[in-house]
Amino acid sequence: MADASQTDARLVESETTETDAVAGVAVGLSAVLFALAVAALFERVSLTGSLFGIRTVTLLGGLLTALGVAVVAFGAGSRLGYVETDPDPSAGLVAGFGAAVPWVVVGGSAASQTLGLGTTVGVLAGTAVGGGAFALTVLPREDVGSTLPLGSLLALTGLVFLTGVIGPTWVWELDWAQQAALTAEFLIPAATLFSALYGGWASAKAYGGFGARGRHMGAYVLVYLNALSIVAFLFVLVAFVVVQGVPGLLNGVEIGLGTGPQTTVLGVSVTLPVSVPFVMNGVALFNDFQGVLPAIVGTVWLVLGAVVLAVPLGVGAALFLTEYADRGRFTQVVEIATNGLWSTPSIVFGLFGFAFLIPRFGNGKSLLSGMITLGFMLLPLVVITSREAMLSVPDEYRDASAALGVSKWQTIRSVVLPAALPGVVTGVILGVGRIAGETAPILLTMAGGTFVPGSQTVDVLGSFQFTSAPPFVANPALLEATSALPYQLYALISAGVGASSNVGNADEFRWATALVLLVVVLSFYAIGIATRYYFRRRLTHT
Amino acid sequence: MPTVTDALGGRLTDALGAQRRRVREFVDETEPPALAIISAMTLSLLATLVGFLAVSDLTIAPFVVFLTAAGIGWFRYQEETAYTIALMMTVSTILILGLIIVFIFRESVPVIRYESATAFGITVPGLRMFIQPNWDAVSPPIRYSMVPMIHGTVMVTLIASAVAAPLGVSAALFLSEIAPATVREVVKPGVEILAGIPSIVYGFIGFTVLGPWASDQFQTTGQGSYLFVGIVVGLMALPTVVSVAEDALSSVPESMKSGSLAMGTTDWQTMTSITLPAAFSGVSAAVLLGVGRAIGETMAATVMLRGVPRLTEPLVNVFYGQETLTSLIARNYGEADGLQMDALFVAGVILFVTVLVISIGAQYIEWRMHNRLGGEV
Repeated sequence: MADASQTDARLVESETTETDAVAGVAVGLSAVLFALAVAALFERVSLTGSLFGIRTVTLLGGLLTALGVAVVAFGAGSRLGYVETDPDPSAGLVAGFGAAVPWVVVGGSAASQTLGLGTTVGVLAGTAVGGGAFALTVLPREDVGSTLPLGSLLALTGLVFLTGVIGPTWVWELDWAQQAALTAEFLIPAATLFSALYGGWASAKAYGGFGARGRHMGAYVLVYLNALSIVAFLFVLVAFVVVQGVPGLLNGVEIGLGTGPQTTVLGVSVTLPVSVPFVMNGVALFNDFQGVLPAIVGTVWLVLGAVVLAVPLGVGAALFLTEYADRGRFTQVVEIATNGLWSTPSIVFGLFGFAFLIPRFGNGKSLLSGMITLGFMLLPLVVITSREAMLSVPDEYRDASAALGVSKWQTIRSVVLPAALPGVVTGVILGVGRIAGETAPILLTMAGGTFVPGSQTVDVLGSFQFTSAPPFVANPALLEATSALPYQLYALISAGVGASSNVGNADEFRWATALVLLVVVLSFYAIGIATRYYFRRRLTHT
Repeated sequence: MPTVTDALGGRLTDALGAQRRRVREFVDETEPPALAIISAMTLSLLATLVGFLAVSDLTIAPFVVFLTAAGIGWFRYQEETAYTIALMMTVSTILILGLIIVFIFRESVPVIRYESATAFGITVPGLRMFIQPNWDAVSPPIRYSMVPMIHGTVMVTLIASAVAAPLGVSAALFLSEIAPATVREVVKPGVEILAGIPSIVYGFIGFTVLGPWASDQFQTTGQGSYLFVGIVVGLMALPTVVSVAEDALSSVPESMKSGSLAMGTTDWQTMTSITLPAAFSGVSAAVLLGVGRAIGETMAATVMLRGVPRLTEPLVNVFYGQETLTSLIARNYGEADGLQMDALFVAGVILFVTVLVISIGAQYIEWRMHNRLGGEV
């Protein structure tokens, strides 16, 4: 849609004028205020200190006042005909409510707290002030309605900061049984943040000349900002974990021939050329560097087990639903059940595994129970994605195959499944990424141990044995409690500071565990997303 | 009334008759040996299930029979075997949901009996869990009230929805209607990856960074607040809202949007007056599913909350976070046994039923929207 229907507004727009420039500067000012507010909220900018030689609160107040005055001036100029705009008769109900909400808060808290008139008067005053702002937005022409209430709100906030009514040391005790207070440290950045959003909205509307185009502008500024914030949030989050986790992860890393541990690759014993103790060791008394190898191996086996269980089941069910079953009661019930399973909270799966699987597999937490629980969680994801992939295989393929006179199963096996394979694979990989990071279900069914010695690294393949009593096959490794990365992180957090003695720097150890977990999970996602692009490009190019 | 039951009975007999006819047709068309294999597979798998439910060591025997039958069938009568196996796999999804329902309900029965209370002269099992706010598993009187946890879950869910709904719908609009193709190729995987970050990592960051910061900012005693758990959980529910809402928005037929644009509207006018109203039910289903995710979110809440099952004072005090239904289970499963463990299952039942109702409601809304837009599926 974005490409096809972007209306080209240049035809009606005259060239940039000074007034446009003023509105543009106001939008820019809002952006600066927004950034400052975020920085102050996370204490990157000190409220008690100063910026560019001016006290921070004074600077914020000054900028807010300037922004508010600019917004009001633009509206007034437009109303008096100095600025050429294209306003509607009214700013609309949405804008009205948008303006009323902050004024209710301001009016209410000013009356009840600043003037000390009590809660009842506060509520009344808030309603009155909010109603006034609503009327002032909705009743006049749009250029006044969408600037005056918001602009004066900004100016008022700015003046409150400038005059020091709310200074850096201001505190509002809430007088609750459980003590809490609103401090200036929080209130000033938060108020600035919301004011900046309102200011940006109003000035973007003004920049677009009000009317339909103005609203388009105002909305787009907010929507773009939102999308940008989400992406920025993701980056900050990942970068934060990486920065905190890298020191612990790289503790004692050595690179060079013969430094790493020995492993067996294809029957040949190889000494790895790198040594990363954190991912190659367990925890032991005499280790120079402690690590989380057992948890990593546990996660790998856990995921493998879940995939082995869920993928055949899920693909088979999807196959039946798309290829064999007629749409009816039965498919509907299956669909409801799958979607119900998809949204079932992970901790409920854990409870279910605890009540259903644990008594059946040796009455204790075990790797096998964890695998099956996670498999059940993965199942609906596999069904849903495989079904989508199979539905998107064109019917022509099936018809062409059927016209050759082959049976239905042969059509499915040699036409539908291969064509749907990319979608299925992508869905499975993304689903695995999801369950690999799940903690809650394995908490109750599988996990044990906060610091796991390297000797307890599970070896599933090596411990199959045959017994004389039913069920004749046994695998002690599958029936033992095992650690996994997400559980290990949880155990480290809940163990608190007291457990730090065996791993040296406990904080580093925790962050490094979080980083390894994040890397494992995100690499599943990266592979899944890359696979999708690969197949999509191949499909479009051939 | 009799006409209704008659009609229902008639429809039931019809359906049963049709079913019987289809089974007979299938039996007639299939060769006898293939039929024998299929019956052997079905019966042995049923026996396996029964053995498994009865916790029998001999479960392996019918399972081996099933594998053998399936193996033989695969080589001799692949067509019929594949059909049967696919059908069994489909049934298994329903079976798993059924097992979950049976087992978590069964475990919660004792404590529901224990917590009976009398209202208007009638003894209602489990009522006392909802009419008094006291959870005490140690000293008498021992009480397992769900009220504090329900309060916590409601607070967290409200705050999370306030975060996830507007941001999610706006991001979905951006992805499906506004973003240029290149930007979408960046933002969309970004949202997916956001969904992939494990909840325990969110919880860890919340615990080490947000918690101390919030307790400092609001001058609270100790750390853990519903406000910040709600915000974190809202961010975690965001990707669900975005992806479902985006699906709904892009399922609005292009012709409707083009028609509007041809009238000379701006893109934004088209979105607010055509696309959003047309996709309204789909978008609300997305928000509902997001709410479901928020209710069920466990690890972030467990790590960030205080873990004391009591109400906050006053009830609107969001700066203190005690316990939610999910974190109660995750925190207490270790030392709990007997009635207390069963009480955790009651929390599980409440969660499961709430989220299932939300999921079914969302599906109904989506189904209605597809019907109205005349799309397929």
